[in-house]
Amino acid sequence: MEKVQLETLTGVIDKKMNRQLKQYIDICARCAICKDACHQYVGTGDFKYLPARRAELIRQIYKKYFDKAGRFVPALYEAREPDDNLLDELYDSTYACTGCRRCMYYCPFSIDTAWILSVAKAILIAAGRGNEMLGQLADAAIFKGDNAAMFEGVMLSGFDDISEEVRAITGNPEHKVHVNKEGADVLYVALAGAHSIRPAAVIFEEAGENWTISMFEAANYGFFYGDTEKARIITKRYIDEAKRLGVKEIVVPECGHAYRVAEFFYEAWSKEPMPFKVSHILEKVDDYIKSGRIKVDRGKIAGKVTYHDPCQLGRNGGKFEQPRDIVKAVTSNFVDLTPNRAEQWCCGGGGGIVAMEEFKDVRLKSGIKKVEQLKASGASVLACPCENCRLQIEELNDVHGLGLEIWQVIDLVVAAMPLPGSQRSVEAAPAGEGANA
Amino acid sequence: MSDETKIDLELDLKGLLCPLPMVKVSQNINNVPVGGVIRAVATDPGAMADIPAWAQSTGNEVLSADKEGSEFVFLVKRVK
Repeated sequence: MEKVQLETLTGVIDKKMNRQLKQYIDICARCAICKDACHQYVGTGDFKYLPARRAELIRQIYKKYFDKAGRFVPALYEAREPDDNLLDELYDSTYACTGCRRCMYYCPFSIDTAWILSVAKAILIAAGRGNEMLGQLADAAIFKGDNAAMFEGVMLSGFDDISEEVRAITGNPEHKVHVNKEGADVLYVALAGAHSIRPAAVIFEEAGENWTISMFEAANYGFFYGDTEKARIITKRYIDEAKRLGVKEIVVPECGHAYRVAEFFYEAWSKEPMPFKVSHILEKVDDYIKSGRIKVDRGKIAGKVTYHDPCQLGRNGGKFEQPRDIVKAVTSNFVDLTPNRAEQWCCGGGGGIVAMEEFKDVRLKSGIKKVEQLKASGASVLACPCENCRLQIEELNDVHGLGLEIWQVIDLVVAAMPLPGSQRSVEAAPAGEGANA
Repeated sequence: MSDETKIDLELDLKGLLCPLPMVKVSQNINNVPVGGVIRAVATDPGAMADIPAWAQSTGNEVLSADKEGSEFVFLVKRVK
């Protein structure tokens, strides 16, 4: 490796490796408990997907340049230069990781491998080896934000179409998607697709919420890519818009990483306090149901219904009960997956991996624990509040012939509301298109 | 324009939710030669912003983006 590039990489490591991360790589006892916790290692048996091994690569580079023993006797202390072989392995083990942090949950020392891999992503990006697709998605989002006026016409037209659909569902000619409404209490930061806006709009309108959306979306591929500056810029778009509109609360959609970015990461990236209350849409919906602001019919969703905890919302976001309470409110036949909540298996579709074609084989193999859970539950309907999880489980559904209907939670809620246009039952929905309802 | 343009690859992206239509176009752009054209048909309205934004940020070109009924039809030219 050329001296200049090596200095760049060691500079990245020096900047990123804080005290906590140094402690993580020092205290790993290689007990390998993490091997049984990682869906990818369990599903593939491939050593490079063992969580401790993923972190070990960073440890080897760190030892080579920042540890006296490793610097002078590298062979004895397993210190390695970041040569092409190491960087190739680092790429596979890092970008394949879904960041579910189940390994951390079971680690006796709570080593946060996903955090260590954020250093790996920074190294790979500095070496010009960041994942191209995730980089493109991040750049496209930034371009869209920089040139919002260019896309305003098509987006407003799309919102008008969704407003018509909302009115068809609620039967109320006054209902609509509110766009850039100054003085709204709530800014709903949706995903780009209509499926993320339509059911939320129905629920907000029926609840009488003072809400709005803007031109900016919640998905953040800068986060998956591993570039915190790109991630900050993408997030800042809707934070600035929330300030301009004067809202009191930001509500993020059924998207695992979007919740975690807004609730936990933005402050660290921006070095400014989050100026708004951040809520997940399911916290709002749970409150609307419990307070009587919206009505749902508990008998309307037929079939045995189960719920998948998306890792970023559940284990890493602490939202376990509100989604379950909502699902239990719309069905009398709920069954939980085993294990569940903090011990829930990752479906294998997080971290942006569904967009990276080169990991498709690993991704599908790593879903085997989720397939086993779903089969054991006997459920015919799955409620799942994360876009990446739904994409992965829909594919597992097809590959393994599970016969599941897979729905956003808010789609199930709308289907259970006593509205003129919400008559669709789960049975009537085409297989695999629950999220399109 | 679609009547005159030679299509090198057809992509059926109907039913895919954003950002997957953009992802699929990106994954397939190298499957056409430089100067070649992908015709992509999506149903998610978010693609109307996503695919042009992707093209602009990657240096490719959207020749046309049209709404045809409930479908969104894109002609995307590989520039480099």
